[in-house]
Amino acid sequence: MTRYAMVIDKRRCIGCQSCTVACRTWNNLPMDIIYNPVVSEGVQGKWPNVHQTFTPLLCNHCQNPPCVICCPCKATFQDDDGIVWVDPNKCMGCKFCVQNCPYGARDVSAAPEEGFARKCTFCKDRVRTAELPPDQRPEGWKPEDALPYCVNTCHQKARIFGDLDDPDSEVSKLVNGNTTTRLFTELGTDPQVYYIEENGGSVK
Amino acid sequence: MSHMMHPNKLTRHYWVWPIAWYLFLGGLGGGTLFATTMLQTCGHAICELLGLGDYSGVVAQMFGPALALATFAGVVFLGVGSALLIFELGQWKNFIRVWIASTSIMKWGATFLVLAMVFGFVEFLFFLPPQWNLFWYQWIWLRDVCTALAGLFGFCVAFYTGCLLGTQKSKPFWNTPLLPVLFTVSAVSTATALVTILVGLWPAIDGETPFALQIANQIASPDYANQVVVMVIATVTGGITEVMHKADAVMVILEIILLLVYIICMRASGNLTAKRIAQTWISGSKSLLFWGGMLIVGLGVPLWLYLSEVPNAGLIAPVLILASGLLLRFLVLYSDGRQLIPGEEAYYAKLPKGNEEFLQPWKKPY
Repeated sequence: MTRYAMVIDKRRCIGCQSCTVACRTWNNLPMDIIYNPVVSEGVQGKWPNVHQTFTPLLCNHCQNPPCVICCPCKATFQDDDGIVWVDPNKCMGCKFCVQNCPYGARDVSAAPEEGFARKCTFCKDRVRTAELPPDQRPEGWKPEDALPYCVNTCHQKARIFGDLDDPDSEVSKLVNGNTTTRLFTELGTDPQVYYIEENGGSVK
Repeated sequence: MSHMMHPNKLTRHYWVWPIAWYLFLGGLGGGTLFATTMLQTCGHAICELLGLGDYSGVVAQMFGPALALATFAGVVFLGVGSALLIFELGQWKNFIRVWIASTSIMKWGATFLVLAMVFGFVEFLFFLPPQWNLFWYQWIWLRDVCTALAGLFGFCVAFYTGCLLGTQKSKPFWNTPLLPVLFTVSAVSTATALVTILVGLWPAIDGETPFALQIANQIASPDYANQVVVMVIATVTGGITEVMHKADAVMVILEIILLLVYIICMRASGNLTAKRIAQTWISGSKSLLFWGGMLIVGLGVPLWLYLSEVPNAGLIAPVLILASGLLLRFLVLYSDGRQLIPGEEAYYAKLPKGNEEFLQPWKKPY
């Protein structure tokens, strides 16, 4: 089985927001929608011992996604590979899923013609090109084209994407070889975005 | 375009006034159907309690018609609430899809809404004037079944409005079992207030009810039949109102206790978001509405009016209770903060709030 997950190495992130911009570009997002902000608590500590960390956020593609269970329209799906996505044609725009996501990863644009819930899809339109037979792939396809656009754009290589069920994948090695944290695990959502903390991201 | 600019999703309320009105009207409508059913089924106990005489014959038959307008109002309020729900949808043409997924609590709420409206409406059809001779008047069993089911599903709607918010684990201020209980008590309290206003009005306007006149004709000469009807209506109406005032006073006391327990527990919560929101109720931006609007004017004053039996309390107190029910839904709905990820607040505060000047060049054609 494939289980897509993302590792975010906060030791490498410099808060340049390239991923935020890349995502908006690839997904052609309306003005008021951001899928993956990079947030920071600002500079911490006292001179000269100061540091700043950045936390890139995105949909956690939870193993137990509260947004899928609550959707009355069956407009939200979780595929076998773990990717959670929304079919805008089936969504009635009740915003129940937006309210239910503990990570604020879902949003509805205020534009009248865009009244459906939307979210990060791990760029499944890109990722799944890897599963296609070579002759059906887009012309000039390269393996990096099968990565989410934010991962492909990150020049710091702070975002690492792959199959967690594959023991040879980079995400698998990083998750198993480092101390990682996840957001709001106490809510039982089993999020699949793993953070290697800047301070404390030591090798196990 | 200005409508595109809502980048600060932390301060944006995704559910706004139509949902607050729906939560209020759903609770009120559902609670009213529940209350009218309870009154009709507990008629015997009410008669015994108030010494209205034997609960059979004309007194028993008058219980339903006296509550006809309240039943109608319950159905209408549920209908208006449903319309507001659909109005609030981003893609309202897909609203029928609400019944697709059985895992969603929203599907059950929509089902309860429709069932309560249908059974409540059928129940009301039996209160139409007898001279219309509608064919369903003979099916008394249908009236009784619909009365029972309208009450059951009405209660489900009232309870569901609290569950809709209370099951959201992303919202620490809502995610407590106390919220559905508070909403249900508030729903029954507002419904009781509405019934005290509307009880007996339908027969008084109409002058003739399906059962009342027929029964009055049997026990009095035709000349006095209308007088008998008026007399019995006054007795039943007065009896129901008296019971409802007492019941409402109990519900208001319960609601005050629940509200205070709710706020105290949330203020003492281990979750910082719940604690922060509770503080806005106690001494922050919502404190005036909570203490002044909800507790003093909305619940305290009506309670005092009920207990001290001030003249005209029968109208003023229920209106204040209805207003406090609406205010409660607004206050709760706008306390929808989610637990923040460190740094999130600063990030969204930095984003442009409107059509800042740097965006203007993009509007010019190339």
